[in-house]
Amino acid sequence: MIGAIVDTHALLQVVWVALAAGVGVTAAYGLAILGTTRALEFSRDGHVRQAALYAAVGVAGFAAFVAAIVFGIVILLGD
Amino acid sequence: MSSEIIVVIVVATALIFDFTNGFHDTANVVATTISTRALPPRIAVAYASILNFVGAFISLEVAATVAKDVVSVQPNSVGLLAVFGGLVGAISWNLITWYFGLPSSSSHALIGGMVGAVFVAEGADAVFFQEGILGKVMIPALVAPTLAFIIGGIAILVLYRIVGRMRPGPVTGGFRLGQVISGGLLALAHGTNDAQKTMGVITLALVANGTVAEDNFHVPSWVVIAAATAIALGTYAGGWRIIKTMGSRIHKMDAAQGFAAQGAGSAVILAASHVGFPLSTTHTISGAVIGSGAAKRLSAVRWGVAGNIVVAWILTLPMAAVIGALTYLVTRAFGTGALGPIVVSTAILAGSTFLYTHRSHRAGVPAAESS
Repeated sequence: MIGAIVDTHALLQVVWVALAAGVGVTAAYGLAILGTTRALEFSRDGHVRQAALYAAVGVAGFAAFVAAIVFGIVILLGD
Repeated sequence: MSSEIIVVIVVATALIFDFTNGFHDTANVVATTISTRALPPRIAVAYASILNFVGAFISLEVAATVAKDVVSVQPNSVGLLAVFGGLVGAISWNLITWYFGLPSSSSHALIGGMVGAVFVAEGADAVFFQEGILGKVMIPALVAPTLAFIIGGIAILVLYRIVGRMRPGPVTGGFRLGQVISGGLLALAHGTNDAQKTMGVITLALVANGTVAEDNFHVPSWVVIAAATAIALGTYAGGWRIIKTMGSRIHKMDAAQGFAAQGAGSAVILAASHVGFPLSTTHTISGAVIGSGAAKRLSAVRWGVAGNIVVAWILTLPMAAVIGALTYLVTRAFGTGALGPIVVSTAILAGSTFLYTHRSHRAGVPAAESS
């Protein structure tokens, strides 16, 4: 009954895309903050290896954050 | 000649609606940014205004849904008057809820107004209750805030898991910076969904006038530019009372919560715009804001204010429909010419000017700016 009224495919698409993007993008930015802040702390204390490791986490997190946003806008531009 | 005058009045009314949409709705977009002091209020509003304008050009799926899937109008002056009645119903409801500081949904006001006016003008067959209103408006309207609530909650829990043991200073600074991006994304998302509704209604009026053929549906470029400009100007004009309600009265939030709420809201609105569901940023951001607060601590959310918002949501569709139907009947009492729209639009212009002047004298500026 509901399936005949609602476009369930479109509705489910909204649910999983929003869930993946909403949680994924915020988590990626959280990792960017974690990586950057920890890298600066370790760098200040002279722990070069740990600083480099956290810097990589920060860069990867920020790259994923930006990439997800750009990807989403590109998809919308195709509408 | 008479129908051309009516089209001009309908387009002008639609753009005024778009302006009030920006004025009323988009303040919700910047509320979290202002509440956490990520940006000063006036800069946040100007920034949201620009991104609303840009967002209006990104997708036309929602415009197509509003113009084709909710109601249908005959290509004659009765159809044009019905579109006019629906618009005035939506504007009136927006003004009433704005005046009393109640968050509402401009989108549902517009759809409610159109449904009420078209139902009275063209009969029940012209309103697509099942696939249109239920399938593309009401069910997504229930799903969107619930989804935003869940995503906002999960996102903040994930964020606290990642950064919870770190010193608050740099983390807060980082999330305030992030809010500049997530707030911008939310404004962009608003443009992709809300500006489209006005484009859809103007296109519906052009179909009723025979300017756009029903079997060759397209949104003319001038409609896109005009709607984008109107919503951007409306956003800039502000809506301080709504900002205060959404940003701090629902719950006091930190920068991470603001970021999570905006990220969740943007994700839901952009995903819905992609498939053509006409959502409301008000519904969605409210769900996300409450979700991000409830995940941290249930008592942090002022549920009374959240309850008031729910009541306003429930009232929006039927109230706008009633006002839309009444407006159509009043307009039609002057015949099918341009006199009815001229009289009614003059009255609504005078009424809205009075309300705006009266409210502006009492509103002032939000605390975040003055402190």
